[in-house]
Amino acid sequence: MGANIYKNKKPVIVFLFPAFLFMMVYLYYPFVKNIWNSFREIKQLGGQGTGFVDPWYGNYAKMFQDANIGTSLINTLIMMLATLVFQVGFAIVLALMVDNIKRGSRFFRTVFFFPIVISATALGLLFNLIFLYDKGMLNQILEILGKRELTDWKAEGIALFTMMLPVIWQYVGFYFVILITGLNNIPEDLYEAATIDGATGFQKVRYISLPLLYNVICTCAVLAVTGALKVFDLPWTMFPKGMPLKSTFLTGTYMYYQTMEAKNVDYGSAIAVLIVVLGVILSKVVNAIFKEKDY
Amino acid sequence: MKRKLIAILLASAMVTAMIGCGATADAPAAAPAAATEEAPAAEEEPAEAPTADASGVELNVTTTFAGEDGNAQNFKNAVDAWCAETGNTVADTSATSDETFKTRVITDFETGSEPDVLFFFNGADANSFIEAGKVVSIDDIRAEYPEYASNMNDDLIADSLVDGKKYAVPVNGYWEAMFVNKAVLDAAGVAVPGANYSMDDFKADCQKIVDAGYTPIAAALGNIPHYWWEYAIFNNESPANHLEIPGSADDEIGQAWVAGMNDIKELYELGYFPENTLSATDDETFAMFTEGKAAFLIDGSWKVGGIVAACQSDPEDASTLDTAKLDNFDVTYVPGQGSRKATDLIGGLSMGYYITTKAWDDPAKRDAAVSFVSYMTSDTIVPQFAQHTASALKNAPAVDESAFNPLQIKAMSMMSGVTSLTGAVQDLFMGDCRVPTFDGMPEIVTGKVDAKDAVQEGIDAYQAQ
Repeated sequence: MGANIYKNKKPVIVFLFPAFLFMMVYLYYPFVKNIWNSFREIKQLGGQGTGFVDPWYGNYAKMFQDANIGTSLINTLIMMLATLVFQVGFAIVLALMVDNIKRGSRFFRTVFFFPIVISATALGLLFNLIFLYDKGMLNQILEILGKRELTDWKAEGIALFTMMLPVIWQYVGFYFVILITGLNNIPEDLYEAATIDGATGFQKVRYISLPLLYNVICTCAVLAVTGALKVFDLPWTMFPKGMPLKSTFLTGTYMYYQTMEAKNVDYGSAIAVLIVVLGVILSKVVNAIFKEKDY
Repeated sequence: MKRKLIAILLASAMVTAMIGCGATADAPAAAPAAATEEAPAAEEEPAEAPTADASGVELNVTTTFAGEDGNAQNFKNAVDAWCAETGNTVADTSATSDETFKTRVITDFETGSEPDVLFFFNGADANSFIEAGKVVSIDDIRAEYPEYASNMNDDLIADSLVDGKKYAVPVNGYWEAMFVNKAVLDAAGVAVPGANYSMDDFKADCQKIVDAGYTPIAAALGNIPHYWWEYAIFNNESPANHLEIPGSADDEIGQAWVAGMNDIKELYELGYFPENTLSATDDETFAMFTEGKAAFLIDGSWKVGGIVAACQSDPEDASTLDTAKLDNFDVTYVPGQGSRKATDLIGGLSMGYYITTKAWDDPAKRDAAVSFVSYMTSDTIVPQFAQHTASALKNAPAVDESAFNPLQIKAMSMMSGVTSLTGAVQDLFMGDCRVPTFDGMPEIVTGKVDAKDAVQEGIDAYQAQ
């Protein structure tokens, strides 16, 4: 009698239903509604629109002629590569170094993780001051070092670099913590055996740490790529409206711009659909490339 | 058996909690019911005492009196005084006037969560909620409260672009003029511009300022090109036709718009805007102006407060004002060209208090909303807000100059020489039609987009609306 209660699945459904309802109301319904909106002519947020776009697929066709879509897709891809190479890359280097020190590892964990707990908007404002043209921290340092002319860190050629630097800096600590946890799970015996066999520090990293960390690195890579698609608040705070000359748009910031600033709610909805499609495809690709291994 | 007992106890607890919640939800309903009963009495004698018989009501109010707005503190004081007088309370959701604020307000109307009273633009921005019948016209309010806005000159209250009715009771007007940093002008050997200042004079002065090592114009073309956009177009038109929207980029008005955009491009190419004008924010270029690195700033009357705050060691404390620093600033006319004299300025009464239909239809809130707007637009309060700008009062009291700071007095002096005030055409040219020439200004001045194509794109979007 007692064991039978585990065979009865009805209570499970009852307990799952609230979460399911919540997801339906706040995720799936808005998603389906967003697809519907992308075919409607909507100029005011919250409005039902004045009819269908002519032709009904007009917003999707428009994307192929919109140079800003191209810019935002390219910038997003660059952002993905940068996060993958620099965020995860720096995190691996830092994790390996901290893992090798005997004292102070807790201190470094806290220091490297700290930027994560600061809101991205606050960080954007902070970096605005650092990169400020007149009296910005960076330009003041350069002035002390003898540079006579001010550098516009937000000028067209350099803006993308200025935008990516704080984004990368903020999340290095996140991957660092994941990786160092992975390193801690590697049995100490392996390193001891390698030491007895005369392996150098580099060889231990090359032949023990990195291979055994592979699955963790894969997880970090998937998180980095999908996370790069969602970056919004920091770039928007530092470069509103894709400034300068609409050269810093990412897919997320361009969708926001079209919806909130340009009042093209329907086109913004179509871009949101594009972001979802892009996210699904890229997740599949990244999962295929960084396939976890069974040991 | 134990499990069953626990399950029964938990179920009982849940049922009790739900009943409790239900009872809590019922409780507030009693209050409106009581208020509903009082409402007819208020309707019988509405004009007698709209200020006192709605005590205990909470009004949701949204205005632009927030942030750096010079009247933010005046608004807080007035709200506190009204609350103390009536016993009502105000849930204030005021915010700085920008596109995000406009979007928020319009979205609130679309989603049915509009405030009870709002201080908002009376141009095309208000079209959507007026079309939807979500605000009450002044005439409809006067049918119930004959004294409502009776102290205002109706001729100065703007008609709605939707149905020609008047909805918004104005408080303070605005003007757009040119602020100057006299310290920069002195260093460059340039005199403060006067009433006959022309665009050619302006360019000659700008060159002198550049030669002296300063930036002539404080403007962020990639962020807020609005003021230059407006005056550049105005300089190719006249006060008589400035508010006309072109039918195409090739007609007379359209050509004036294209010429205006090309005038800004010329100033950019001459190097008169800040070096980082395409990547800077408005705050950055404003700081250049107040810190004595740029000479000219075209902006609105609300910027007087911002300049004064920049001359205070504590922006919140007027007693910390550095009057010597403030003396460096003056306000004058915008260089004229063609049929537009320098003294023909952009300005008027572009905003006012609306009462929403939602508040009007709520018997508990109707009196309070009328009382609030009546108080905020009274002969006592309006002059405090209007200061150096216009108002629509029938009997505007004499201005006591001792209550104003030196820059406000200079502004009043400048306003006394104005030959005409014309509304901003950008207030009629709303939404996505402004994007190609506003957000697209960097592309225009750098030659990446032809001014004519950008103007035509905007006109096409306007005609599609």
